[in-house]
Amino acid sequence: MSTATQVGALGRAVDLKGHGVGLFAGGLTALLVLMIGVPLAMVALMSLRTGFPGEGGPLTLANFIAVYSNPGTYKVLLNTLLFATGTVLVTLVFAVPMVWLLMRTDLPLKGTIYVLMTVGILIPVFLRTIAWILLLSPRIGLVNQWARQIFGMTEPLLSLYNIPGMAFIQGVSFVPPAFFMLAAAYRTMDPALEEAAYTAGVSKLQTFLRINVPITLPAIAGVMVYLFMTALAVFEVPAIIGFPARILVLSSLIYTSTNPPTGLPNYGVAGAYGAVMLAAGLILAYFYVRLVQHGKKYTVITGRGYRPREIALGRWKWPALAFVMLYLSMEVFIPFLVLLWASLLPHLQLPSATAFAEMSFKHYRSIAEYVGVLPLINTAILMFAVPTGTMILSVLVSWVVVRTQVNFRGSLDTIAFLPHAVPGILLAVGLGYLGLAYRNYFPVYGTIAIIVIAHTINWIAYGTRTTNGVMIQVHRELEEAGKVSGASTPTVLWRIVLPLVAAGIFNSWIWISMLSYREVTMALALGTRKNLVVSTIVWQFWGNGWVPQVAALGVVLVLFAVLVIGGLKIGFRRLGEFGSGS
Amino acid sequence: MSFAPRLSVRGMRGIMKDIKALIFALGLSIASLGGSPGLFAAAVDDLVAAAKKENAFEFYAPSTLTPQGAQALGAAFNKKYGLSIKLQYNPSGNMTRDIGKLVGLAASGTPPEWDLMVVTDAHHATLWLKKLHQTFDYKSLGVDAKAIQFDNGAVSFANQFVLPAYNKQLVAPKDAPKSWDDLLNPKWKGKIGVSSATHHFGRLAAGPWGEEKTTQFVNALTKQDLILGRLGEIYNRLLLGEIVVAVSLSDSEIKSETNKGAPVVHAEAVSPLLAPAYHAGVPKNAAHPKVAHLFAAFLTTPDAQKIWEKFAGQSSTLIPGTTAYKYVQGKKVVYLSQDQAETVDRLSREYGKIFGFTSL
Repeated sequence: MSTATQVGALGRAVDLKGHGVGLFAGGLTALLVLMIGVPLAMVALMSLRTGFPGEGGPLTLANFIAVYSNPGTYKVLLNTLLFATGTVLVTLVFAVPMVWLLMRTDLPLKGTIYVLMTVGILIPVFLRTIAWILLLSPRIGLVNQWARQIFGMTEPLLSLYNIPGMAFIQGVSFVPPAFFMLAAAYRTMDPALEEAAYTAGVSKLQTFLRINVPITLPAIAGVMVYLFMTALAVFEVPAIIGFPARILVLSSLIYTSTNPPTGLPNYGVAGAYGAVMLAAGLILAYFYVRLVQHGKKYTVITGRGYRPREIALGRWKWPALAFVMLYLSMEVFIPFLVLLWASLLPHLQLPSATAFAEMSFKHYRSIAEYVGVLPLINTAILMFAVPTGTMILSVLVSWVVVRTQVNFRGSLDTIAFLPHAVPGILLAVGLGYLGLAYRNYFPVYGTIAIIVIAHTINWIAYGTRTTNGVMIQVHRELEEAGKVSGASTPTVLWRIVLPLVAAGIFNSWIWISMLSYREVTMALALGTRKNLVVSTIVWQFWGNGWVPQVAALGVVLVLFAVLVIGGLKIGFRRLGEFGSGS
Repeated sequence: MSFAPRLSVRGMRGIMKDIKALIFALGLSIASLGGSPGLFAAAVDDLVAAAKKENAFEFYAPSTLTPQGAQALGAAFNKKYGLSIKLQYNPSGNMTRDIGKLVGLAASGTPPEWDLMVVTDAHHATLWLKKLHQTFDYKSLGVDAKAIQFDNGAVSFANQFVLPAYNKQLVAPKDAPKSWDDLLNPKWKGKIGVSSATHHFGRLAAGPWGEEKTTQFVNALTKQDLILGRLGEIYNRLLLGEIVVAVSLSDSEIKSETNKGAPVVHAEAVSPLLAPAYHAGVPKNAAHPKVAHLFAAFLTTPDAQKIWEKFAGQSSTLIPGTTAYKYVQGKKVVYLSQDQAETVDRLSREYGKIFGFTSL
């Protein structure tokens, strides 16, 4: 039976029931409640129990008492707050000017910059952090060594091992997501105000600061809240930079409580730490929704077919390009060079004549032995299954929310947005606990499926925001025409709506696929030998002392990514801005 | 004439007697497992036949063995017993974390991820205390009872050596630490790292130093602005020069095939020398226990010992003539005995908290 026939049969079944749409929407709501609610219920349960998953036992507040009567917890909360705030600020310092330059001006090399930004996403943050250690470590960092030689300084000029250092590295790594989130707002901004400013003799910089930034402030604030929530949960930089210097944040405490470097796992304590993280996430999500709704009041986007004029940068063209290149150097070029350097040496070392003499390609030849095939297969599964699952659910949710009159559609939209408020590490720990404690009912612990589920839940909020946006743009007349011709509701969705929104969905699919590829926090928290993926291999190799081997893998992956992304960029240009996800 | 390392803690006479017997027994086990027909051939044959049916196994071992080393071991194992078992190597990134994970899995009734675990005696002590070994009568395979640890739970086949380590490009040998107490010298402040292998200090506490002195030492170390990390991370940071001294580093990192030529060396003048033993043991409910038990016994054979030493850098202090045996002559060495297991397990966690590896 062909797909169209199947859809037709399903459609007739749904329509025949009369309340088919309502039932379908109800089922979808129940599915989402289950997907999102059960891991959170597990976090709550584990926070109220001592011992290991599956051991049962009475409910107790002992974990909360232990955690919140410890003065160290409040230091960790302060660290987390400072780290997340610093991260967001660093991101915006780079992302906002770059969005304006790429979306509104005649900056040269835009296509190349897009590809390089996408490539930057694919360099694992762990590897980039190692590169930053080589540059900015107080003792061995090249920058500090040069500062000593040039200025005769006795103390290091810069150090990574503090909260500003951590925030800087994490903030730089957040620029691409922030860029793509802000791109839509800048791309479609009405240039009338800008042109009025130029006519009045206001400089381009002043116009950017006094016109563009205020107009897009709600969008920027929305992105800030989103990034703040993400920064609460990230693990990579706190693990490599913070932990060695005993700078703990919530995510590192939750991770080490379930994967302790010494002693045995303490899931209850992880749950108690998680409670405060969840509360923070829910509060931030509330503000995020408010900001997004508030932002609509400021909409200055004109109608269909509108295309804003590019602003000529004139003599500022090259300084602007230099700014972008500075960022790309930090995000892509320097980490890649460090990777290349490390991959060619027998063991990690700083540049010297001896090091150059010892260079070889032996680690490239041993990649297969060290990495094996399984992590690559798992990564491929992740990169396909997560965006596919997320986008299928997102399309269905958006269709109910945007195109139907089901009376609880607002609630469905809110439920779909909830994962945005749940830090990834908490979701993963909850799912892990579920898999261990109730393995007979949820037999996916230790498989790639559990990571696929965690990622899918995590990005469903992002997916539905995207699909809501693109579905609104499709006029109802087309669907009505389909229905008048006798097509069932699913047929209309399949044959009319989906083809029209395919470009937006495809963009989001690619974007989620890349996010899934580089995500490490959830993959690590749920990691076992059978579900290793490339991002967790990097962490494992760093712990094993196999840095040259993982650097060789990194170089190969980056080169592969350049080829694939370049090809996709060319091949799918017609489908819209690649990777914009907006 | 001394045939065994000097021991600092227990009654010398009794221990010497034990070790001499163990040397003899290990030699015997090696001879019997070496393929010569003897008392144990029938048991070995039975186990080989059972192993053949399992066909594969998950081998957890130190990352310093390297995939090439694991492959070489697998090939030698198959050749010796006429098998074609598929060995899946799982390099350890953090033995303590993985043992903790295994304990957690066991509590939930989930089978272990690995069939055979090569971890240190301190880590096997945790499994033994939790009764998580799948025991086997290794004696029936020709492995002497004295080489068999934790009530038939594990087989001892190699020793690490643990001492403070330094980067010789950054610290001249004359300036390197000469004693454990030298690590408290303010000149190392901010330039010294400690790994999550806190059982190293547990051994000192259960052994020659006692709990009070060791705890004081650990507390004093925390005043040195220590950099924390897993063993491999601490090694990397030492290699790069981010730290110039590591409080304790095993020769697994220093002697590994992949790390040859690196400027990281032990502070050889420091005493006592810690000698954690590598034990091979099968966790309870392992999916392929027969292959795993056979492989554990195989690790004591000369073939396996040669491969292990080539790739991972260790041999057994108990077998006369081995590199490890020669190395410990005249040195004050700290071993872990089964009766110290509980103390070491408890103190490893306590010291982990003091250093800041865990919060509660």
